[in-house]
Formats: sequence, structure tokens, C-alpha cells
Amino acid sequence: MPKHEFFVDMTCEGCSNAVTRVLHRLGGVQFDIDLPNKKVCIDSEHSVDTLLETLKKTGKNASYLGEKSVQ
Amino acid sequence: MEAKSVALIVEGMTCNSCVEAIEQRVRKIDGVHSVTVSLEEKSAAIIYDSQLQTPGTLQEAINDMGFDATLADSTP
Repeated sequence: MPKHEFFVDMTCEGCSNAVTRVLHRLGGVQFDIDLPNKKVCIDSEHSVDTLLETLKKTGKNASYLGEKSVQ
Repeated sequence: MEAKSVALIVEGMTCNSCVEAIEQRVRKIDGVHSVTVSLEEKSAAIIYDSQLQTPGTLQEAINDMGFDATLADSTP
């Protein structure tokens, strides 16, 4: 499965928790949140657009950084 | 048009940026006149047009953002 990397403007635990919750709601995703670097790495069958829309639901700035090769 | 107000308990906010994110988002919802979010009280007070929104849809909107919103008991 492709791993997508997103930038999400998270500033605190509450922000990252919000991101966690919206992604859980979407379902079918595996992800890692890197709060210090404001990055979310998502492993999912959903399209990039769907994932970006979901991240933007939190009201934070979000953008797509690109695919990340799975190590 | 009928303006009504609703109070929601919002869990999961920890800083001002969460508060601002919710305020900005809720303000964009159709029929919302004003919104006041309190970090200390973990609450959101929303004044809305009852023909366009219901407490349920507003609660859903905040839940959708990744916070846990519940309707506060209507205090007398």
C-alpha cells in the first residue's frame, strides 16, 4: 500500500488528537503522527484527495507532501 | 428566521489553536450567527438559525472536526 505524507499545522496534543479522531472516523487507515515536525504519514487505500479533505476537517492547514517509499 | 442558542460540552481542546480552529470552522456553517468557545469551561455556545441547523447537526459538525461534543443539559 502507498504511504502518503501530509503536512498538518498541529500545535499541540489536542490538535494531533483531533487528527487521530477524524482519521479513525474515516476508517481503513494506518497512520503515524509526528507532532514536532507537523507531519502525518498515512498508509491507506483512500485517495490523496479523500485523505486531505479529512485532514482539513480539523480546521487546520493541511497539504500533501508526497509519497513516501516504504522501507 | 428564528435564532436559537445551544451550549455544547467540547472535550479534547487543549490550547488556543484548537479553540480558534473550532470557532473558524463553526462560523462558516450555514445559519450560524455567532460562536463562543471557552477553553477553560470546555464549552461552545452557538447562536444559530433554527431553520437551517439543529443542535444535533452542530454537535455533529464539531464531532466531525475530531473533538468530542455533547449537548449540555439545558440549564434553567
